[in-house]
Amino acid sequence: MNVFITGASGGLGRALANECGKRGYNLFLTDINAQGLKSIQLGLERQFGVTVTTAACDLTSDESVDQLLETIDAYGIRFDMLLNVAGLDFEGGFLERARRDIIRIISLNNEATLRITHAVLSRRRENHPFYLLFTSSLASMYPMPLKATYAASKRFLLDIAVALREELKDKQVNVLALCPGGLATTREAMSGIAAQGFWGGATTNPLEHVSRQTINRLLHRGGVLVPGALNRTLTFFGKLLPRRWVAAAIYHRWNKAQKAWSPVEFSAGR
Amino acid sequence: MKTAVITGASSGIGYATSAELIQKGYRIIGIGRDKTRCEESEHLLNALSSNAKATILQADLMQQREVERVATEISQLLEQENENKLDVLINNAGCVRSWYTTTEEGYEQQFALNHLASFLLTYRLLPQLKRAQGRVIMTGSESHKHMRMHWNDLMLTRGYNPLTAYKQSKLANILFAKGLNERYLNDGITSYVVDPGLVCTDIGCKNTGGLVDWIWKLRKKHGCQPEVPAKTYVYLCETQPAPRELYYYFCKPNRYSCQVTHENADKLFAASEKLCGIQYPARIKT
Repeated sequence: MNVFITGASGGLGRALANECGKRGYNLFLTDINAQGLKSIQLGLERQFGVTVTTAACDLTSDESVDQLLETIDAYGIRFDMLLNVAGLDFEGGFLERARRDIIRIISLNNEATLRITHAVLSRRRENHPFYLLFTSSLASMYPMPLKATYAASKRFLLDIAVALREELKDKQVNVLALCPGGLATTREAMSGIAAQGFWGGATTNPLEHVSRQTINRLLHRGGVLVPGALNRTLTFFGKLLPRRWVAAAIYHRWNKAQKAWSPVEFSAGR
Repeated sequence: MKTAVITGASSGIGYATSAELIQKGYRIIGIGRDKTRCEESEHLLNALSSNAKATILQADLMQQREVERVATEISQLLEQENENKLDVLINNAGCVRSWYTTTEEGYEQQFALNHLASFLLTYRLLPQLKRAQGRVIMTGSESHKHMRMHWNDLMLTRGYNPLTAYKQSKLANILFAKGLNERYLNDGITSYVVDPGLVCTDIGCKNTGGLVDWIWKLRKKHGCQPEVPAKTYVYLCETQPAPRELYYYFCKPNRYSCQVTHENADKLFAASEKLCGIQYPARIKT
């Protein structure tokens, strides 16, 4: 099994790479952080003895991706699985963020994801099942004031996943949208979870469970995966209420949390 | 002048031990993660006496490339000023995490910092330790008891629990010390584990998040001040001839888990060597 992972040196990317390594899959890892890629490659090779290839790439740049594809084509590599993990968010209100940063959210979370998805799907192993993951978020379930762009970008991924799942069914492609709550991936993420108090901790999913569940689910049927019973319940009730009410409730919660926390940037997940 | 390298020296037990050793005339090379705390502690330590000499280097030891970098810096310092000799290495830095989190290598953070960082740093400083007939001291914990190593899943990806991860890493510390003694007592290097008891430090509140933070805030109130366990470290550094037991509590040998066996120590060495990409030498070349 050849697996392509984007955002592989971030917290969720590393956890998923570990999960694949444990299963003995060959890994092709990319990330914008070349140093981080080097480290995770070493870690995976030492732990699992699997074949790991890495290439640093800025997925938001067409040229950078073209270069990556040239390398892949030179070796004639074909893939069985694509895990779209790369993504970013900037905390804070719409007007408090720089214009460029807001656009960057869309360029990476959406544009770049489509760019790489199309490229890797076109390089899938023929007459074999293919497994495609989009890392959406619990945030995709509602409009989220103060995280408006991020939540909308994740909604885009959720819809793409559900639609492509139907479209590519007879091509033997399994599609999964992963919608986790908080994940303790970085120091910033952990302090963010802490700042949200009780609800932060309660909606946080254990990273090791999420990665195992994700690969299991992706191999079996795809669909939409919301890890955690509480998150599934929140999602269910969220759908029953008018979207405006939900948005108002979320605004109330985030407004309080963000006052308790200075904004920082972090990639891959919430 | 004797030299001691101490990880996690910018606060808690590491800082208190550095302060005690400075009073005994040691040259201190400390390592801390937080830059501001490093600068502050270096300043404070140097103000302790007129001939105090302390340097606190900044490094995030859970990342292996940071261990490599800081090991090189330490080696340079030792070469410049101490005939390339190291008298004491105290592997004290440790952390607790509420959730399963990984380092850049994808290793679980508690295992990476509490054990692998010591394993790699000690390896890098073996020649300097041998030259001084030095001592290696780990900060252990009584919590290592009633725990076994999860050999098939050292990173606990099948069911992470902060306490299990912490206990396992502390058991690893003793196994590491035992393994070091089995290999290098003949080279003159002696290794120990100190059980500091319950100490009022911030270990449970640094980037832990969740319940651990809350529980530790309540629990640490019952702990003693870090100056108390610091005495045990000083005892192990200073006593001549070198004390012979493995595990010390309040300057006295104490009982440790029956899991600390020759087989387990060897197994841990093999696994850790693989995870660090190194091979401990049969005899240390100086």
